[in-house]
Amino acid sequence: MNSLEHANWFMRALFFTLSAVIVASVLSAQRGRAMYIRRIPGLSAIEEAVGRATEMGKPIFFSPGLAGIGITTLQALSILAHIVRLAATHATRIIVGTADATVLPVAEEAVREAYDSAGRPELFRPEDVRFVSDSQFAYALGSVGLMSRDQTATNFFFGQFFAEALILTENGRSLGALQVAGTPDPVQIPFFIATCDYVVIGDEYYAASAYLTREPTQTGSLVGQDVVKAGLIALLIFGLGLVTYLAGHAPNGTVLSHLLTLLKAGS
Amino acid sequence: MWRSLQIGLSQLFSPAHSTGELVAYVVGALLASVLVLALLHKGLGWRGKRRLTMAVTFTAGLFFALEYFYPVRMVAGRQRNFLTDYIQPANEVLAIIMAFTVGLGIYSLIQVHGRNVLRQRRGWCNSLAFFLSMVVMFGFTLADNYIKVSDPPPAVLPYPKASFEILFNGLFMPLQSATFSLLAFYIASAAYRAFRVRTLEAGLMMAAAFVVMLGQVPIGAWLTHSLPVTGYHGIPAFFRLENLGEWVMTWLNTPAQRGITFGVAIGALAMSLRIWLSLERGTFFSEQS
Amino acid sequence: MEAAAPQGFRQRLQQLPRGFIYLLMALVVVWQLLFPLPMPISPSATTKGVYDAINKVPPGKLIVISADWDASTEAETGPQMTAIMHACFRAKKPFALLTLSPPAGAKLANDRAVAVAEQYGAKYGVNWCNWGYKYGYENIVMSLAKNIPATLKSDFHGDPISALPMMTGVKDYRDLGLVIEVTGLANVTEIWLGFLRGPFGTPLAAGYTAVMAPGYYPFVDSHQMAGMLVGAKGAAEMEALVEHPGDATRIMNVQSWAHLLIIALIVVGNLGYLLARGGGRR
Repeated sequence: MNSLEHANWFMRALFFTLSAVIVASVLSAQRGRAMYIRRIPGLSAIEEAVGRATEMGKPIFFSPGLAGIGITTLQALSILAHIVRLAATHATRIIVGTADATVLPVAEEAVREAYDSAGRPELFRPEDVRFVSDSQFAYALGSVGLMSRDQTATNFFFGQFFAEALILTENGRSLGALQVAGTPDPVQIPFFIATCDYVVIGDEYYAASAYLTREPTQTGSLVGQDVVKAGLIALLIFGLGLVTYLAGHAPNGTVLSHLLTLLKAGS
Repeated sequence: MWRSLQIGLSQLFSPAHSTGELVAYVVGALLASVLVLALLHKGLGWRGKRRLTMAVTFTAGLFFALEYFYPVRMVAGRQRNFLTDYIQPANEVLAIIMAFTVGLGIYSLIQVHGRNVLRQRRGWCNSLAFFLSMVVMFGFTLADNYIKVSDPPPAVLPYPKASFEILFNGLFMPLQSATFSLLAFYIASAAYRAFRVRTLEAGLMMAAAFVVMLGQVPIGAWLTHSLPVTGYHGIPAFFRLENLGEWVMTWLNTPAQRGITFGVAIGALAMSLRIWLSLERGTFFSEQS
Repeated sequence: MEAAAPQGFRQRLQQLPRGFIYLLMALVVVWQLLFPLPMPISPSATTKGVYDAINKVPPGKLIVISADWDASTEAETGPQMTAIMHACFRAKKPFALLTLSPPAGAKLANDRAVAVAEQYGAKYGVNWCNWGYKYGYENIVMSLAKNIPATLKSDFHGDPISALPMMTGVKDYRDLGLVIEVTGLANVTEIWLGFLRGPFGTPLAAGYTAVMAPGYYPFVDSHQMAGMLVGAKGAAEMEALVEHPGDATRIMNVQSWAHLLIIALIVVGNLGYLLARGGGRR
């Protein structure tokens, strides 16, 4: 039975094992176990980037990407909230341009609550969290217009981006802004690396909340992810070796041939 | 009891048979929603709201997770369990809810640009142009939808349809293509500025990039066309740029892409678990104002 | 961030003005469009995979071409569509166009299909048809699994699907011989993989823009996809296979020299960097 539509026994076992490892790691961290996270330059640079905008007296631009509400965008908004809290302490203005109408109210609420939690609710301006366009290139050009008219000193690009990424970042660079980008999608990473000062790639992106907040739940989840990754690598190597051996040494009708069939059915 | 619940729900959510019934459903649903939201807002403190959010999040996630993991049986050649028939209606409900937010985007644009025009801020002409283009495009798109022409269309289209054709196919589409084509110029300047061979690894990456770039175009194939295609155990043929480029993409790029995809998928799993179980902390997830 | 003003030849090599680079690129593109230097094109394995998949479709089965692109990627996906349709008409395999997103794709693909069909004397509703734009992504794909006519109801022109002769007897995925996804959007192929290739084993092929294609090599390598067209190059290779050179072949002439220009610029920049570094050591 293929496991893309519904889970087979292997997917159930795998999912529950992986989830158990992650949840156990979270619980362990909540009980006080210290956990180490290596330095991620792109995330460490956020404070520097906000500081630059403050010194220059210019605003910050934040783009949460083009995707709708999903884990990628929610992570981007989580990073946005952190940036707003940092910027609020120095009364630095932040402009957020969204490309999806469903993201707009969530982004507005995230920014408002971030200003509240930083003790500066009066700094929140609703017109600074705005919908630009849901058309890819119209969004890119509209955002570039925002950056150039408001002369932003720092640009943040976190989320799901497509072909418009290079238009955003190359124009931002030509305007002299410091740029920090982060995306889990490998396709746009080369363009960000060529045009941004700091880039957060792959699963570093999902480590952002843990890295920025250092909260036990978050760091526990991050360590759990790494344990899961190591386990999957070991499983891959074991499975590869087993299938290779069985394919050559499993005559039909034997226990070994049934095991090979079972392993293939699990895929 | 499950069967009675199913019958009750199907009677409650049966399709409307007339316009009046449909209007009554819509108005009734709106009023009921407003009433429920008002009661929740008044009756629940921040802790209650948080618990309600956590319960709704968990239930919504549980529905989809349960449908995927619950054992299935084959019915008419399809994998099915007791929740499978409700997946599509659930997705349709989500799509309808998302459609409501389209108006939010338009409202935000009107608010921002309207303020620019009313207060005559710097660049207010651009905001006026926005309103003009939105109204004109909206009008001609409606006209294009509702004015029918014969098939094949006449040589001279009615004015609204012709205007739509000019604006959409003659202006909007070429503008999209033109903006995409800007990438060619940007990638040239970005590549020139960013790619410096500062280390051995950067040099190797540069060499691989050159091989792939030349392997993707006919001129690369022409540069190495003198290498024999067959013979010598295929070694010279391997070094033809188009073959070398293909080798880089399938033997170097593919494992790297798989590795990144695995890592991202695990990160997404962890984040999804945190959101589903409401372990995720952040401004809009759990903390009180 | 921008650097300070260049000083000396070595620095100037590393900091050519942006406008100069854009001008060079524009000159190269215009030159090759006006005075092309044609080069032979040899099809790659991934393109051959798509071509072979079309030819291997059993008689009586339908090909679905999902046109999920719009004007922004038309330079690559447009010629891909045209070349694929040429291959289908040459092999006398009936096909249906479908668009999941964006809506503009339905009309753009239809216009191309009308132009290509004319060259083969193909009739709408008999040799090809257009199911039009259907909103719903995975919902549409899941519904098509159960009942294609009931899901679609009408075609691109608003006529009933059941009235089309080629749709007689087409009920669900078992009546499909191949699905070809032509797109510039991410995450659409995964829908076809999850709800078509997985449950039913229906062959799947694709055409992508060059920038997103590297991410889909794993699917071709694992045989989840029969093949894929990679950008304008893939379209040109397909044009070579169907012996019908068109837009993509012309684009490849331009792309060849544009790539050479970019390589030359990178070399110039690195030359300046190495010279500056060497000069600094003395």
